[in-house]
This record gives sequence, C-alpha cells and structure tokens, in this order.
Amino acid sequence: MPTPKWLVVARNEYRIQTSRIRRIRPYFPYLVIGLLAVYVLFIAPRFVSFFIDDFLALLLSHVAIAMMQIILFLVFIYFMIIPITDTLREEQTGQLEIFLAAPIKPSDVLLGEFLGQIPFYAIFITIITGLFTAVLKPLGLNIVQTAMIIIIFVVTTLSALWIGTVIAAILRTKLGKTARGRDIGRALTMIIALPLVAFVYAIMYGGLLEALADLGTRGLVKAILDLLPSTWGAEVIVGFASNPGDIGAVGFETLTWFGGLVAFFVVAMWLGGKAANRAYSLEPTTFAASRAKPDGTFYKTIKYLGGGGSFGTLLVSIFKDYSRRLENLTNITYMLGILALMNIFIVPKSTGPDDPPWGLMMVQFMFPIIVVMVIGEVTVRGKDSLFIYRKTPSGVGRFVKAMLVKSWLMVVPIAAAVTAVIIILNPQDTFISLLIYTGLMTLFVGANVAFVLGLFLLNPAFSEKSVKLWINIMIAMFVSIGLFAVSLFVLMIGRSEPISGIVYVQLVQTPLSWLVGIVFLSLGKRNLSRIE
Amino acid sequence: MKVLIRTDSLSKYYGKGGEIKAVDELDLEVYEGETFGLLGPNGAGKTTTVRLLNGIIKPTSGTATVNGYDILKEETEVKRVTGLLAESPGLYEKLSAYEFLEFMGALYDVPSDILPERIDDLLKLFDLDERHDYLLEGYSRGMKQKVLIAAALIHDPPILFFDEPTSMLDPRAALMVKDLIKGLADSAGKTIFICSHILPLVEELCDRIGIINQGRLIALGTIDEIIAQTETKTLEEAFIAITGGTVEKELLAWREQRVADS
Repeated sequence: MPTPKWLVVARNEYRIQTSRIRRIRPYFPYLVIGLLAVYVLFIAPRFVSFFIDDFLALLLSHVAIAMMQIILFLVFIYFMIIPITDTLREEQTGQLEIFLAAPIKPSDVLLGEFLGQIPFYAIFITIITGLFTAVLKPLGLNIVQTAMIIIIFVVTTLSALWIGTVIAAILRTKLGKTARGRDIGRALTMIIALPLVAFVYAIMYGGLLEALADLGTRGLVKAILDLLPSTWGAEVIVGFASNPGDIGAVGFETLTWFGGLVAFFVVAMWLGGKAANRAYSLEPTTFAASRAKPDGTFYKTIKYLGGGGSFGTLLVSIFKDYSRRLENLTNITYMLGILALMNIFIVPKSTGPDDPPWGLMMVQFMFPIIVVMVIGEVTVRGKDSLFIYRKTPSGVGRFVKAMLVKSWLMVVPIAAAVTAVIIILNPQDTFISLLIYTGLMTLFVGANVAFVLGLFLLNPAFSEKSVKLWINIMIAMFVSIGLFAVSLFVLMIGRSEPISGIVYVQLVQTPLSWLVGIVFLSLGKRNLSRIE
Repeated sequence: MKVLIRTDSLSKYYGKGGEIKAVDELDLEVYEGETFGLLGPNGAGKTTTVRLLNGIIKPTSGTATVNGYDILKEETEVKRVTGLLAESPGLYEKLSAYEFLEFMGALYDVPSDILPERIDDLLKLFDLDERHDYLLEGYSRGMKQKVLIAAALIHDPPILFFDEPTSMLDPRAALMVKDLIKGLADSAGKTIFICSHILPLVEELCDRIGIINQGRLIALGTIDEIIAQTETKTLEEAFIAITGGTVEKELLAWREQRVADS
C-alpha cells in the first residue's frame, strides 16, 4: 500500500526544515522531546519558584487566570500570523507546479505542509504551555485538569496554525502569480503585525485589562472576545481555577466550552481542506501588467529639485524604483504606526512648560530605523545595480549624491511632519518652539541619512536575509543612542548634572551627527568603488 | 501509429468575456514514440498548452486525451502517465538530489521497494551519483536541470513534457540536456513533447513540429514540410514568415541620419 500523500508531503517538509541539521536528523525528535520534558517537569517549575515565592506564585496564578482570555487570544492571533508572514515573504509558485502536476489532492498538500511544520511549532507551544502550567500549579490543579489545560493550549495553537496555513496557501496562490501580487504580499508581511502590536500596547499600557475587570465596561470587550475559540479555552481554565482539584465540580457549561473548542478545531480542519481544493491553482487571475503613467507634478518637482538635467532624471528614476515597491512604503508605514502607538500608549504626557515633549525622544531613537528602511535599498537589491553606476562616467559620485538627495526628500519631510504633530499636540509648546524643534529634528535626521548611507556602503547587505542588514540596523540605533549619551556628557562638563532641555541636547547632538555622517559617507563612497 | 496525445478544440481563455485567448481551438495529435516540438514566440500559449495537457489547469472549452485518458474526467490518471519539466520549476533547495527524487517518487506512488534502486539508476544515468547527498542549493543550473529531468522520469511515464528545457542554461549545459532528451527518445522509446522558442533545439530533436502564435496552431508537420509550405530555406525563416516577426529597419533611421549628418 502506498504511503499516504499527506505523509509524503509532511516528511518532505520536515526534511526541508531540518536540512541544516541533517547529520543529527534521526535523533533530533528524541533529543527535542527529552529536552522539552526536562523543561516542563523540572526547569519551568523551578524557574517560577526561584523567582517567585509561594504567596506571589498564588497571586500570579490568579492574575494569569484573569488574563487568560487575553493571553490565549494573543497566542491564537500570533500563531495564526506566523505561517502567513512566512509565506508572504517567500511567495514561490514553482513548487506548487510540482504538486499540481502530480496525482495528489490539494488538501493532502496543505495537510502535509502543516503537519511537517508542527514539530517546530510544537517546541514553542510546549515552552508556553510548560510555563503556564508551572505558574498555575499553586492553585492546586489535579493531573486531569493540568492535562486538559495542556490540551486547550495545544488545540488553540493548532487551530490558529491551521487557519494561518490555509490563509497562507490562498494568499500564495493568489498573490504569487504576478509581480504586483508578490509586491503586495511582501508589503503585507510587516503591516499585518501592526494590529497585534496595537492590541498588546492596549493591554499593557492602554487599560484594556482594567476595562475587562470593570463590570461597567467589560461587556463590549468580553462580547467580542467570547466569539473567539481562544476564549472558550480560557473559560475552561477559569472554571478549573474556581474548582481546583475537583474535576467533577466543573459545570456542564465549562465542559461545553471545551467541546466547542475541540469541535472548532475539527471543523476548521475540514473546512480548510475544502478551501485548499479550491485555492490551489496556477490560473492567472489577471493579465493586466502594471503600467507607468507619464510623470505628474510630483516627479516633475523631484526632477526640478535635482537640477532638471540628467541628474534630475537619475534622481527621479531612483525615486520611482523605490516608491513603486509597495513593500518599501508599508515598511515606513509600519514604523510610523509603531511610533504613533508608542506615543499614544507609552510616552508620558508633558505636564508643564518645563517638561519636554517626550515624544520627541522616541522620534530620535525610532528614526534611525526608518532611515535604514529607506536607505538599505542601496545594496539590498544586489550588486548588479551598483555595477551599473560603476560602469558609467563619474557614476559612483552621482549615485551617492542621488541616493542622498532621494533619501533626504523622503525622510526629512516625514520627520518634520511627525515632529510638528507631536509639538502641536503638546499644549505647552509655542509656535517658536514648534519651529525650533522641527528645524533641529530635520537637521538631525538629515545627518542620520548621510551616516546610514555611508554605513550601508561600508558594510553592504546584498540581500534582505543578510545578517549585515541587521548588524547595520543595530549599529544605526546604537550610534544614535551613543551620540545622545555623548551630548548629555558634553552638557555636563563643569556641572554636576546636564543642562536640562531637549533643545540643548539636540543642539549638541546635531553637529556631532553631521560629523559622523560626513565621515561615514566619505568612507562609504570610497568603499563603493572597491566592492567586488 | 498510435496517438498518445490528442487535443480536440482545446481552448483556454482569460479575462472578461474571454478576450485573452491563451490557447484557441487547438487540434493536435502526437504519436507514440515521436518527439514533438511546439514552437512559438513568448506568450504564444506553449506553457498554457503544457499545463492543460498535464491537468494543472482546466480548459475553458474543448478537451484532450493523454495516453487515452481524458484530461477533464481522468485527471489523476493523466498525471500518472506524464512527466513534466516545467519552465521555471521550484526545486526544494534544502533537499539533496536523493531526497528530492525520493520525495517525487513517493508523490507519484513509486513502490517503496523499487524506489531506491530507481533513484540510484537515475543518479548514475545523469552522472549525479557522487553528489547525491549534496543539497540542491549548491548545484549549478545544469545540474539542477538534470535533477529535474530525473524527477520527471522517476515514475517512468510513457510521455514526457519539456517546457523550455534549455532556455536558462549555458551552451555546455544546454548541449548536455539536449543529448539527454535525444537519448530518452532514441533508447527509452518515450513520447516527448517539447515547448521552446529555441529553433536549433527543436530542429535537432523533433520529428514533427507545430507552430503556435497568439494561442492558435498555425503550422503543423515535419520541419521540411513547414519549410516547403512557407517557401523558405530555413526553419528560422519559416518561423518568421509564419509568426510575422520582422525587423523594422526604419526604427534605426535616427542612427543613420546622425551618421549622415556627421
């Protein structure tokens, strides 16, 4: 009897995932299971009891129960997003053709891919579950209740993963067929996580937990959460917590929630299989290729700002290549979204004229990342485009200049707008302070652009997966923090504490940033001629 | 001669109202043991035809039989009797050649007691046995193409489809692939369906050819017959004559004008 097809696909998926550890592949499952057993039985309980005494552990377990709905909801959403973002990042339809040409049902492909990845997700699931069972232990749950809590975690995460896998498969077939679709897919990878981040911030800093605890306001939030299967599992755990050690005392309603969760999983598996049979296809959805419109006022202005001649054309070309990738624009949107969320939930509000606009501090540390997202393009698309400039007369110089001007034109207005919004929203600040802060922030970000461009030319990352890309992001952030610290140190010279006021910090930090920027840019430009 | 592939007004349309005719009323017969070439410019409908004949996509109208199986009603059987080398196939780069062939064999239900021996034979045939445990990510394009051809042969299908088998390869690798296809046709007695726009490849390998343009089959026969029909001297000239490709010398007039001015 031939091996079931879903098992063939699952085994293949597992082999792909473990290709780096091929030599220990036969022992890998036993090794992982052994380590996880040690973690669940010994490490997690000791970890909890080491940091928390018995009273606190009991208190914590009650907090964990109160937060159970939220925690399971977050786990559910997080596990659902993982396969979607993974797939959107690498949307290849070539492998799909292998399956479509073979005598195999699409539902077997989907189930096989899902099962093949489960061993790795299982590691995360076990770590989370192990920690939770350890935290809940002081409540005095018996072995059946503990086992059911583990099942709830496993079923909730598996349901989420399966739903995510089905959505990912549909997106892969829909988006992977056209260049525009692939661009949209990559664009979604970042932006898709933003609502989850917003939710976490709302829980941690926005009083969502308090809203749940408050009988007056909990109705709406609870009604929404009750619709989700993660809540059904949470209801069971809360039921156990109310009757620790007594499985018989748990009401019919609680067990119905458990049955509902399991039924949801079964129905989701069945519907997912059905959806797969409809989803997998290589039929083009459209033949309409993206077309470039004649240059409008915007690009004409860019060309004008670039001097109107051949440099202006070069500048416009670089601008178009960047801005027509939806992914680039959503990356910036994502970072601005994070910045906005931080300002809404985390940053303290100014209380008086002497209190600085704290939001600006956040801008200072977030903008280097936005700058990296705009400038990383310089090398991330590969060496070939760099060599085009190397081939042309004075190409290197013109390329660096064009990249610099393009990045300034993109980042500086954003920085100015963000700064202006933060100042305007701070009632203590005057029009003069608006001008001063915006001007200083603009100069600071301008210097940052020069520095990051130089950094990427000195330490080029030639692909999005390159470790150098992350190294550059870290360097950009640490240099920004370092310059801030140096500025504080300069302001302390001859005093016991620094001259207070963010304006003074910026007045010192901006020239320093320009100095670093110019040095890095010069070195980077020289290195560009040597890249091979 | 036995007909292995027969299409009957096979059509595939896209867009609103089916205004894009990827394949239009295709009537074609391919005989057992022959090497048939489907020639056409880019976007002519070659890959769509191959996908239709492999049961990957469904026709808008018409149908076809492959080894006697209807592509609409017996899709699974069609897939069992065909091997496909796709134009841009997705390889599992993190698998070794052996693992990839093992996977493909299992997908096509090759019995597990004969699969290892068949993989070994194919790896030897394609000169890959010494590197059978190297991950595919480290293979050259030519070697990857060899693995993909081996994968198309893993279930020993009577019909092989090769979609642009040499278009991405350097001349050395292209020659090697060409020899492999020739060997399969001559010694293994396979029926081979090649799609390509590379005329010398088709000229050398194919017993008969069909020329497709904008979804319609506009010529069919041996190379000599097609050259005779078009009153040309070479297949290239015949192809240009049939598909209407010409070099617009007027487009270069600006250059001649500049030379004259200087």
